[in-house]
Amino acid sequence: MTAEHGALPASGGVIHDIGYRRYTGLRLGRPAIIRALVWHSLRSSVGIGRGAKAKIIPVIVFVVMCLPAVANAVAVAQGGHRLVPYDTYLFGLRVLVLIIFIAAQAPELVSRDLRSHVLPLYFCRPLRRLDYPLAKLTAFILACLALIEIPLLLLYLGTIAQASGPSAIWAQTRALIPGLLIGLLWAVLLAAIGLALASLSGRRAYATGSIAIYFFLTWILAGLLDTIGGGRGRGPLTEGAVPAAAGARLSGLVSPFTTVDGVRQWLGGTSRGPIPPPGGYGPLYGVMFLLLLAGALGLLAARYRKADLT
Amino acid sequence: MTAQLPLRAGPPGPGARDAAAVIETTALSKHYPAGVTALDELTVQVEPGITGLVGANGAGKSTLIKILLGLLPANGGQAAVLGLDCARESEQIRMLTGYMPEHDCLPPDVAATEFVTHLGRMSGLPPTAAKERAAESLRHVGLYEERYRQIGTYSTGMKQRVKLAQALVGDPRLMLLDEPTNGLDPAGRAAMLDLVARIGSEFGISILVSSHLLGEIEQICDHLVVIDGGRLLRADSMTSFTQVSQVLLVEVDEGLAELAAELAVRGLQPTQEERGLLVQIVSAGTYDDVRDTVADLGLPLHRLEQRRRRVEELFREETP
Repeated sequence: MTAEHGALPASGGVIHDIGYRRYTGLRLGRPAIIRALVWHSLRSSVGIGRGAKAKIIPVIVFVVMCLPAVANAVAVAQGGHRLVPYDTYLFGLRVLVLIIFIAAQAPELVSRDLRSHVLPLYFCRPLRRLDYPLAKLTAFILACLALIEIPLLLLYLGTIAQASGPSAIWAQTRALIPGLLIGLLWAVLLAAIGLALASLSGRRAYATGSIAIYFFLTWILAGLLDTIGGGRGRGPLTEGAVPAAAGARLSGLVSPFTTVDGVRQWLGGTSRGPIPPPGGYGPLYGVMFLLLLAGALGLLAARYRKADLT
Repeated sequence: MTAQLPLRAGPPGPGARDAAAVIETTALSKHYPAGVTALDELTVQVEPGITGLVGANGAGKSTLIKILLGLLPANGGQAAVLGLDCARESEQIRMLTGYMPEHDCLPPDVAATEFVTHLGRMSGLPPTAAKERAAESLRHVGLYEERYRQIGTYSTGMKQRVKLAQALVGDPRLMLLDEPTNGLDPAGRAAMLDLVARIGSEFGISILVSSHLLGEIEQICDHLVVIDGGRLLRADSMTSFTQVSQVLLVEVDEGLAELAAELAVRGLQPTQEERGLLVQIVSAGTYDDVRDTVADLGLPLHRLEQRRRRVEELFREETP
């Protein structure tokens, strides 16, 4: 420790050079460092610590996503039934909101660091190579999860506020739990795909563009294939309608959104989805889900293993 | 917060494992896929203190630093930093080492204090300590009120200081600085070198500083490691370099050849340099000998100047 230079009584209000002081306190290990990176990334994925402009999109998408739950609370309070199913929520709205959120915020998490070549500063610290994408992915899954599950919980609270008796509350709770689990599938798959695509480019605009294009195109394509493949026509599905053609049943495999919905229906979800019930093709949706997830994780891992990031 | 690490970066006390060498490599080799050999059986020892790592661009300086940090795998040989093996214990090495990369590595839209605090956290400091040490590190490198401004508004010199501060924030025992004076103007270079010298001497942190300009970093180094084409050219203490580098420049208006011949007769072995003669200073008597020789020959003396031969010149002579 260096001696103090020009030290005066504290009352003097003089700035003095106290020299270099060694750090003798606690040093946290790798797991704690990863947790710190997760927390830091989670904050920046919702725009905290980035100035007012960075918060605009996260706040707007969150509010929009909550609107159906609020409307439901009002309707239920006026004596109506629950408007929105837990397992699909408002499917189209959820797709739109998540595309906007992921396309805007995934580049915030990974493209910025690539753009400004910050990664060597992470990799020269105790972190290992894959800790960085792992922390980013964890943070982004948590952010997507909050965006999906908080409106579901609001939907639930708004509904049980008017429920009569424990059995009614239990019925709502039993319907909610599969909805939350399906929400987890959404968050994990979409966050992984979004981050993997964003990590391909350090240019924010390219990253946002590639995510939006991939999600939108596949989503539209799935709808088109459904129609071409025989579909089930427009209008509500009525009980006892003719089962959809094989083409329509497989159309959902094209888009990650409809893939998750195929898994939902295969696992027993009964609410009407954007694709016809896959029937016997259900396991294919399960396989497709795992393939998409494995592909995204593999891409992410390969990206951050590359030596040129040092 | 859990997972306290047993390793502490205390001052390098007598019990420290690195008492001998902070960096040690044995036959270290690195070949890149394109058939480029960056390091070719490099064997070198780096003592505590400030060590200059000198070589032309492409000599393997950055590659060596990256291997020492465990960022790149070596193709052959061994390397150890602070007594820890680079291949197996790179995590501990990175906990005790601060690295300043050569290239730009700062985000433009973040305040320096925030950025360095975050990297302090990434070095394993708890939140409050990271904040305090970030402020201190930035102050040590000469950034005061500016540290609250976004890095994008900084000059090149200020950015280099932020890069240095982030390497310092974790209180390392060894700092690896890759071309810290890159892109700076002469005044900025001098300021940066002062800073590095201060960190090495006052803060008691060992430093390996790379540069392609030998003349620049020789002023602040205790030791020098010179590599060329991935091979060691020479590694020695600065004093052993400067012992042979004290020379006297003698300039006369006429009779240079005459003087050279007479000096040679008196055993002073002059070498010609442009308009004068360089004489090795072997003792205080050398000055008298030269003065007497000039006086005896009655030559018009124009200049008598003690010069420190730049180490660079020594190498030019020694290596064909």
